[in-house]
Amino acid sequence: MHFDDLKHELQSLPVKYLHHMARGRIHRHFRLGKHRLVEIMLAFPPDQILAIETELQQILTTRQERLAAQEARAAARPQKPASPFQSKNRQMKGKPNFDHSQPSITLQEILKGIGVPEPQPFVPDPWQTEAVEHLAHSDVIVSAPTGSGKTYVAIQAIKQAMTLNQTVIYTSPLKALSNTKFMEFSQLFGPDQVGILTGDRRDNAQAPLLVMTTEILRNLFYDAASGEIDLRLHTLGLVILDESQYLADPERGVVWEETIILCPSQARLLLLSASIGNPQDLAEWLQAIRPIPCHLIRHAKRSVPLRGLYLHPTGQLVPLLKNQDILQGKGYTFHPDTRQLFTEYEIKPFR
Amino acid sequence: MPPAIHPVDLIEILRQHRLTPAIVFLTSRRACDEAIDTFAHSSARMSSQRSEAIREFLEKFTKDFPSITHHPLIPVVQEFGVAAHHAGHLPSWKIAIEELMRQGLLDAVFATTTLAAGVDFPARTVVITQSSVRKSQDFTDLTNSEIQQLAGRGGRRGKDLVGVVVITPSPYIDLHILGKGLTGYPEPIDSQFVVSYPMVLNLLKAHSLDQIEGLLAKSFAQFQLNQRSGIHQDHLDQIKEQLMPYGPRECADWITQWKGFDLARRRKAHRHPIVTNDTPFLTACLPFLTPGRLIGLPKGPAIILRQYRSRGTFAPMLSVIRAKGTLGECPAHSVTQVYDRVFEFQPSRTIPWCQPQVLSQLKKELSQLPTRLPTVPILPEIQETDDPLLAEILTEEFPCPTCPSHSACKKDFPLASKLRQKSQQLTKTIQALRDGLWHRFQQKADVLHKFGYITASSQLTADGEWARLIRINHSLLITELIRMDAFSGIAPGLLAGIMASISHDDDRPGSYMRLPSGLATMLTQVRAVADSLSPYEPPPLLRSDVAALVESWIGNPQLTWASLVRSTSMAEGDVYRLLARTLEFLSQIYGLKITHPGLADTAHSAMVTMRREVLQELP
Repeated sequence: MHFDDLKHELQSLPVKYLHHMARGRIHRHFRLGKHRLVEIMLAFPPDQILAIETELQQILTTRQERLAAQEARAAARPQKPASPFQSKNRQMKGKPNFDHSQPSITLQEILKGIGVPEPQPFVPDPWQTEAVEHLAHSDVIVSAPTGSGKTYVAIQAIKQAMTLNQTVIYTSPLKALSNTKFMEFSQLFGPDQVGILTGDRRDNAQAPLLVMTTEILRNLFYDAASGEIDLRLHTLGLVILDESQYLADPERGVVWEETIILCPSQARLLLLSASIGNPQDLAEWLQAIRPIPCHLIRHAKRSVPLRGLYLHPTGQLVPLLKNQDILQGKGYTFHPDTRQLFTEYEIKPFR
Repeated sequence: MPPAIHPVDLIEILRQHRLTPAIVFLTSRRACDEAIDTFAHSSARMSSQRSEAIREFLEKFTKDFPSITHHPLIPVVQEFGVAAHHAGHLPSWKIAIEELMRQGLLDAVFATTTLAAGVDFPARTVVITQSSVRKSQDFTDLTNSEIQQLAGRGGRRGKDLVGVVVITPSPYIDLHILGKGLTGYPEPIDSQFVVSYPMVLNLLKAHSLDQIEGLLAKSFAQFQLNQRSGIHQDHLDQIKEQLMPYGPRECADWITQWKGFDLARRRKAHRHPIVTNDTPFLTACLPFLTPGRLIGLPKGPAIILRQYRSRGTFAPMLSVIRAKGTLGECPAHSVTQVYDRVFEFQPSRTIPWCQPQVLSQLKKELSQLPTRLPTVPILPEIQETDDPLLAEILTEEFPCPTCPSHSACKKDFPLASKLRQKSQQLTKTIQALRDGLWHRFQQKADVLHKFGYITASSQLTADGEWARLIRINHSLLITELIRMDAFSGIAPGLLAGIMASISHDDDRPGSYMRLPSGLATMLTQVRAVADSLSPYEPPPLLRSDVAALVESWIGNPQLTWASLVRSTSMAEGDVYRLLARTLEFLSQIYGLKITHPGLADTAHSAMVTMRREVLQELP
C-alpha cells in the first residue's frame, strides 16, 4: 500500500481501531490522540508497517461486514412515519472537523466587527411574514432566540385580527412584562384600543386588544366554561401566548397547558417561545388536540451574530473560540490562548 | 493572580475596546451591590455630558416614581454610569435602569441571572462569570437554554453589528459548560402538569367526569406520557415477537406450569442439602446394617464388619466377612437379605476391623448357619412432603415429569420466563403511564369529597361553589380556614398578615420583628390547621416575621415605606414582592363577596390600606 493511502486509511478509521492496533506497539498509546497515533504509526520501520497494513486489512473487512449487517437490519426494521415538524438541519450533529492547519482567529479580527450599523429601513425576515400569513388559517408556534423579532410577529398578527373585528388576547408570564406591553401597545394602537387585566388592575376591559397574565386568561376560561361569561369569547379571534417556554416551569407551567386546552377552537393560537429543544413536540401536540392545523416556525439564527472573548483576571483579552462567530450546533474548540490561560487559572487561582 | 477580575478593571477594559454597554452577570445580589460599591473610590468616571444626561433623566423619572428619589445608588449611577439590577431592588428602580440602558446612557449593569428571564434588556456585550447558579440549597450547572438566554442579551438589533460574550473566570466557573451551552442546542422542555384542588373544582363545575377525562387526555403531559408509553409499547411488541416460538405446547400455559414444577424441585433440593442417591429401601436398610449383622449377598451370606461411605460418590459401603472366611467390600445396595441375627464383637478401627480371633470365630459361625433364617421386615418410608405446594404439584397427575416436551421446556424455561416477566412489567408501566393523570385527578377529587366540597356524584356542594374561586397555592388551607370561621371579625391587618405568611415561600432568612399577640395566636391556629392538612397539601412555610411586617404596614397607615424597610433585614424588592403577592391573595378573598360579604369587606379594606406609596406608584 502506498504511504499516502495508508495514512488516509488510518485517519478515516475510528480511533478505537487505532488504539487496538497500537496495543503492544506504542507505549501508553491510550494517552494519545488520533493524529499523534497515526503519526507514530507511520514512522514505524517497514516490517512493522507491513504488519499494521495486514491488520488494517482485516479490520476493514470485518468492519465492512458489520456495517452491511447493520444496514440490513435497519432496512428490515419498520420505518416510523417522519413527523412533519422535524427540521432537516438538525441531522448534522457533533463536532465538525476543524482544519487544524487553518490559523486561529486573532483578537483584532474579532474586535474589527464591533460597531454601529448603518441605519437601514426595516424589512421583515421571511420567517416573520411566513408566521403572519399562516395565522390566517392555522395555529402558529414560533421558536426563535431572544431579540430576533417575535414582537413584530405579534404586532402584525394583532393588526390582522383587528381589521377583522376580532378580540385579541395577549398574555405574558409576568405582571411587569404585561405592563410594559400594555404601554407599548397603547402607543401603537391608541389607548382606547388596549385594555389590561392583571391580578389587581383592570383597565378598559372592553377594548379589542387585552393584555393580561396567563393566570388571568386561564381563570377567564374557567369562568366562561361554567357559564359566567365575563368576556366576549365568541368574538375571540387570536390568543397570543408570549414566552410560552414557561410551559416547562415547575410551578406555573400547568397554567399554560390549561390555557391551551381550554382555548376555544375558533380562536387562533400564536405561541411565541424562546429557543427550545423540542418545538416539534409542541406542534404535534397542538395538532393532535385542536381542530385547526398547526404551523411550526423555528428560527435558530440570531439576527445579530455573536462572538466570544475570554478576559483573564490579569486583564488579558483573547478570543474565546478558534473560529469567529459562535454558531449553534457546530461544536466548539477553544482558542489556544484561552485554553492556556484558563489552565493556568485553574491550577493556581488563589495566589 | 486574583480569583476574579476587579469590577472597575473589567469596566475599563470593556470601555477601552468599545465593548460597552454591557451586562455583567454575577452570582449573587450581594456581589452586584459590592461591585457597585467598589466604584465609589475609583477614577473610572464618565464624561460630564453623559453624567448630566443621566441626571436629567433620573430627575424626570423620579417625578413619576418618587420612591427612588433618595436611592443610595444614584450618585454612583450618575458619576460612573454603572448600576446594579436584581430582584432585591424596587420595580421602579429596575424600570429606571432598564430605561437608562435602552437610551444607551449606562456603560454597565451588574445583574443576577434572574434578569435573563423575561425582561427585554439588551446590550452590546454580555459578561458571564459563572457556570452554575444557586437553586434552593445548592449550586446547579446552567443549562444550555439558560446560557443562551444570558448570551441572547448580547447584540442589539439595529444598534450593533455584532454582539459579544465575554467570559471571565471566577471560582465558580467551568469553561466547558459555557462552551457547550453557547454552541449546543437548547434542552427539550417537559410538561410540569400538576392537578390542583382549584383545577378539580373548576373543571367539575363545568364538565362531566367523562369530559374531564377527555380534557386531561388533551394535556401536553398526557401527550408526552403517550410518547413515552409508545416507546415502551415498541419494546413490548419486540418482546412479544421473541416470545412467539415459546407458544402453547402440551399444556396451554407451559411457562407457569414449569415454573411451579421448577419451584417445587428447587424447594425440595433446598430441604436436603446433601444429595444422596440412596433409594428409599436402602435408606430404610441402613440403620440395620451395623457391624455383626448377618446379611445375604448375591454370592451367599456374610457378616458385616463395618459400614462406611465411599470417598467419591458418597455411596454407603460395607466391609464383610464371607462364608469362605475372606474379607470383602461391597456396596450397600447389593444386600439382598437382612437377617434377624447379630453377632456381638468389639469392632476395631483398622483392618481386619476386629480382633483376629473374632474373625476365625465369625468364619466358624458362618459355616454353621441353618438353611432358613428369619429376616428383618424393612418398610421403606414414603417421603413425607409437608410443603403443601410440593404436595399439590408433585402429585401423580402433575404432567411435567412425564410430559413429552419435558426436555424442551427445561431448556427454554429460563429465557422464556425472563421474557414473560419483562413483558408483564412493560404492560404494567404502559398502563400506569396512560392512566396516571386521571388517577391523580381522582385522588384529588376524593380528598375534596372527604372535606365536603363535592358530593359523591361529583357535583359541587355549596362550599365547593365558592371554594373554586380561590385559585392560588395553598387553596385548601385557605378555604378550610374560611369554613372554620377562623377569620370572623378579624382586623384587616391581621388577615393580610396571615395571607402574607401563607403566600411567602422564600426561605431567604429575614429578621424577626416583635409579634403582636393577636397575630401570634392566629398563626399558631393556622399552623395547626396546615399541619392537619399536610397529608393532602404540603404546608406553607408560615413565617411569622413576614406576617408581622405586612401586619404593621396595614395596621399602621402612617408607617412610611422607608421605616418599614428599615425595620426588616429583607431587601426592598423582596418586601415589595411580598406585599404584591399578599395583595393578589387578598383580591382572591375579595372575590368571595357574594357568599362571604364580611370577610370580603375586610380583605377589601386591607387592600385599600395596602396600596399607598410605593405600591400605588406602579400601575
